[in-house]
Order: sequence, then structure tokens, then C-alpha cells
Amino acid sequence: MKLLLVEDETELAVSIQQYLTNNDFVCEWAKDTKAALERVSIYDYDCVLLDLMLPDGNGFDILKELKRQNKPEGIIIISAKEALETRLEGFNLGADDFLIKPFHLSELLVRVQALIRRKNFKGSNIVVHNEIEIDILSKTVSVHGKGIDITKKEIDLLLYLIGNANRVLSKAAIAEHLSGDMADMMDNHDFVYAHIKNLKKKLTDAGSYDYIKSVYGLGYKWIE
Amino acid sequence: MNKKLLHKTSRAYLLFSLLILVVSAPIFYYGIQGLYIQEADDTLLLHKKEFILYSAPTIQLQDIPAWNRFNRNTKIENGTLVTKDSLFYGRHYDTLDAEVEPYRELYVPVNIQGKPFTYKARINLVETKDLLKHIGQLFLAITCLLLVGLYIITNRLSRKLWKPFYETLEQMESFEIDKHQPPNFSPTSIEEFNRLNRSIQQLIDKNILIYKSQREFIDNAAHELQTPLAVFQAKVDLLIQRPDLSEEQFEICSSLNENILRLTRLNRNLLLLSRLDNDSYADKENISLNDHLQKSLPFFVEQGRKKNIIIETSLEENLLVLANPALTEILVSNLLLNAIRHNVEDGTINISIKKNCLIISNTGLNYPLDKNSLFNRFYKADPSSQGTGLGLSIVKKIADLNNWTISYSFSNNNLHSFTINF
Repeated sequence: MKLLLVEDETELAVSIQQYLTNNDFVCEWAKDTKAALERVSIYDYDCVLLDLMLPDGNGFDILKELKRQNKPEGIIIISAKEALETRLEGFNLGADDFLIKPFHLSELLVRVQALIRRKNFKGSNIVVHNEIEIDILSKTVSVHGKGIDITKKEIDLLLYLIGNANRVLSKAAIAEHLSGDMADMMDNHDFVYAHIKNLKKKLTDAGSYDYIKSVYGLGYKWIE
Repeated sequence: MNKKLLHKTSRAYLLFSLLILVVSAPIFYYGIQGLYIQEADDTLLLHKKEFILYSAPTIQLQDIPAWNRFNRNTKIENGTLVTKDSLFYGRHYDTLDAEVEPYRELYVPVNIQGKPFTYKARINLVETKDLLKHIGQLFLAITCLLLVGLYIITNRLSRKLWKPFYETLEQMESFEIDKHQPPNFSPTSIEEFNRLNRSIQQLIDKNILIYKSQREFIDNAAHELQTPLAVFQAKVDLLIQRPDLSEEQFEICSSLNENILRLTRLNRNLLLLSRLDNDSYADKENISLNDHLQKSLPFFVEQGRKKNIIIETSLEENLLVLANPALTEILVSNLLLNAIRHNVEDGTINISIKKNCLIISNTGLNYPLDKNSLFNRFYKADPSSQGTGLGLSIVKKIADLNNWTISYSFSNNNLHSFTINF
């Protein structure tokens, strides 16, 4: 999978590259509008991560150009501009997702995965991980082919954990992921423990390997 | 007591006119009377002179009864009643009018054919009284007319003169710095008012400019902070991936994460506040408050679980409000979040909707909060609290934007209540 990261902040770009490249992703980086436009005209990407405020222009211009050329890239806007109008404008121009800075790298990764899944979606949208099978459309999970009783939130958590397999996820990151739009309102992350505990139990009860490991009780890790 | 400017000037005019009227009326009356008496005296003396010069030398003694018979007001009597010319007031019965009437009389000693007589002349003063009455009435009428005219003219004139002043006043009263309508003063023909308007305009322009730059500053500062925060967050996320991280180091990272979230929240709230001032949430739609509460309640129940908080709801009626959905959600969420954050262990929260209002009450501190500073930015009852101190000022601002009223009360059973009237 090839990604293009358009971001003028070097430190952030390096971190994102580092986190994403570990997977089966190749993450290229363009520092400004000019470089980004050059790259998209030469190569095809699965996904473009687009910052809006760039030194030589607006990220929306790149978005417009991509749409004008009918490029198939999925586009995720990553921006500090959190105003509703900006988000709506982004979606209207054809962006697939919008992530407001600051964000957790783990969140960015699952968003990219989800987007690529949606893009490559051919009649079914199923994530398979060893004995675990997640049908994203029908919101069902089966272990060894046997369906288990699971809530939407737990499926969300499961996808997030699998997507970030072998990475340490802080409680804060998981909590923010689970809270979605309400993340701003969140005061403590203790509910994460309850959700993890429930998911762990449901999976192991159905005969799955115990993939979820606690990291000093402050974070979690999905071990492949 | 405060009086209106126009009342003050016209009252001064009116008082002065009344004073003049009161003082001048008796002076006028006695003056006219004196003049008239003088006139009567002159007439009497003239008649007397005429008599002495032309009648006295020629009149015969036997003519006197006839004279007396035909002259009503000039008589000749025997004997000397006075030694010299004397003028005085007298009263006589008037057969025509059948009443006693006042007279001005003149007695003069005269000699007719060597014999002493007294020449008596008189003038009826009844006419004087009538005349005086009429003059008085005329005077009063003219004065009244003058006063009324004067009053109307001064009133009109000052109203016209002060009109630009009142216009300026009105504009100033309706001016709000966070609204986008700076006052527009129309030029007047009066130098002072033009000066006033100019200086007010300058003052307002300057203030708007300062206000705008301050708002932009907050906006920019918050935006500028987002990028380093994003780097910060990314670095912490990378750091915790290191396999050699000890528990202690991981704890530090967790705490860093918490604080990034806090900073982010603070930032977002600042941006929201500045955007509320910008009025960028103009689009409104009908929202069912009940639906929204039902939808977000699970999240808050989850948040309250740590303190074992029980959330009770009594949603009596379906409350529909016309407002911006995003803002309404923020308002409700902020209130609920506060109710959880400032609650005690095993506390309760009551959410009720009734009669067009939403009441959220919670257990908490055992003393009431300071009503005056409650809605101020960065006010915190408990300085060590995790909150940003902006939540309630955002709530207040949203309520103000929609013309809702929010009130706080504290009841004896340690219940803090926030009521929003829609």
C-alpha cells in the first residue's frame, strides 16, 4: 500500500512516516503543494494524507486537482483547522475523512486502514485475523467460524486493536478512539479497562487466543 | 430623580414665566389703577379750571339750582366745605344702577358774586373697574398666549437642537462590540454634536479594532498551538512503542497523554469561544432535547462510573428547541460534564425537562458557588480541577446567543442546580 503524506511540519511528518511505515505501508512525504502535485501526477497512491495549511498554498487546492484528474486516491485531511465549515468544505470537495490535530498515530493508522478497506470493497467488507473474522457491514464477529455476541463498541475496539497490532496503545488513545466526537468531553479513561476486559473475555470464551496484553496497566497491545 | 434634558430647559422657562406673571399682575393692576386715577384727577381739575375761568364769573346766584339740577356730576353748594382744592374717594348711591358706586371727587372753594360756595365735581370709577377688569383679562390672555407660544417654540427648538444627540444616544445604547454593526452617525449642522459623534466613532473604531485583534490573537494562538501539540502527541505515541520502556517511564508518558488532551481541550474551547463571538453558528434547526439526551447519556453514564454516580432522568415532555445542533449539544454536554466532574463519590445527577426548561442538578461541594463569577472565563471553584474553566462561560455564551436564560441555585441538601429556560 502506498501513501502520500503532505505535511509541512517535519517533526510530525517524520513521526507519522515512522509509525505508518512499520506496517505493509510505504509512506512518501511531500512538504508543500508543489511537491505534492508533482508526485500525484507521476505516481498512484492508495491514500493521501493532506494537511491544509501549507507554506505555498492550501491543501484544498491539491484536493481539487486530484478530483479534477479523477484520481482514485482516498483522501484523509489532517488539519489543525477544526471549524465545522472547514470540515464540510473538505467533504464537499471529496475528502473521505477528516482528522483534527493533534491526533494519536494509532487513530490515523486505523482511519487509513478503514479508508483503504472501503476503497477496495468488493461486495463484502471482512477483516480476517487468524481465527477471528469481522464483518464490518453486518457488524458481526466470529471466532473459528462461530458468531459471538458483541457490541458495536467492542467491534470498534477490536478493529482498532487489530489495526494497531504489535503497537502499544495508551489508554488515552483508546479512550479517545472510543469516545469519537465526545473525546473533548472525556474526563477519565477508566472505562477503557471495562471494555477491554469484556472484549478479552468474549474472545477467549469463544476459543480465541488471548491476543490482548496489558502494558503496565496503563496501555494495551494486540500481539500477533 | 433623573429628569430628561428637554424637561429641564422647558421647566426653567416655565418657572420664569410663571414668576413674571405672578409678580407683574399686581404691579400691572395697581399701575393701571394709579394711572387712571391720575387721569380722573386731571379731568376733574381741568373741569374745575374751565368752571373757574368761564362759568364762575358769569353764573348768577339764581342759576345755581338750575345748574345743580342739570349737572349730575358737578354741583355748587352753599358754604365753604373745604378751605382748598381737595381730591378724595367717595361712594354714592347710583339710582340708575341701583347700587352704591365708587367715585373720585373734587371739592373746590369758590366765590360766586361775592358769596362763598363749594364747587363739587365727581367722576364715577365703576367704569375704571370694568376697564381694569378688561385690561387685566386682555393682559392675561396675551401673556398666556405668549407663554404657550414660548413653551412650544422652545420645546420644538430644543427637540430639534438635541435630536442628533438623542440619535447618538440611541446608537450607543444599541451598540454591542461583538455584533457586526458599528454605529453610523449621520452628520449634523451643529459643530459640538459633530465633534461628539466623531470622538465616539473614533473610540468605537478603536475598540472594535482592539477587540478584533484580540479575537484573532486567540484564534491564531490556539491554531498555532495545534501543530506543536500534534508533534508532541505523535512523539509520545512513538515513545511508548519502545520495548525498553520501564513502568515508571510509561507512567510519565501516560501523564503526558493526559495533559496533551487537557491542552487540546483548552485550545478547542478557546477556539469555540472566539468563534461564538464571530457568530459563525447561524444555521438553526429544530432539535429534540430529549432525543439528544437519550443519545449522549450512555457516554456520561460511563464517565460517571468511576465515582459511582447515579444519573436520574425525568423527561416529562418532549422539548423541541430551534437552535444550532452543534452548540446545543455542547451546552448540554458541558453541563453534564461539570455535573460529573464536580460530583462526589456515590453522588447523584438529576436531569429533568419540564415546562420549557432543562434542569441539571448534582451533588457536590457543600457550599454554594459564587454566582457572580460562575460564568467567567477560567473561573474554577476548585483550582486543582481538571476542567479548563471555560465550560460554563461557553454554556452562558451559547445561552445568550439563543436568548435563553441560565440560572444557578443551591439548595439545602447540597444540590447544585443549573436551569436553562428556552
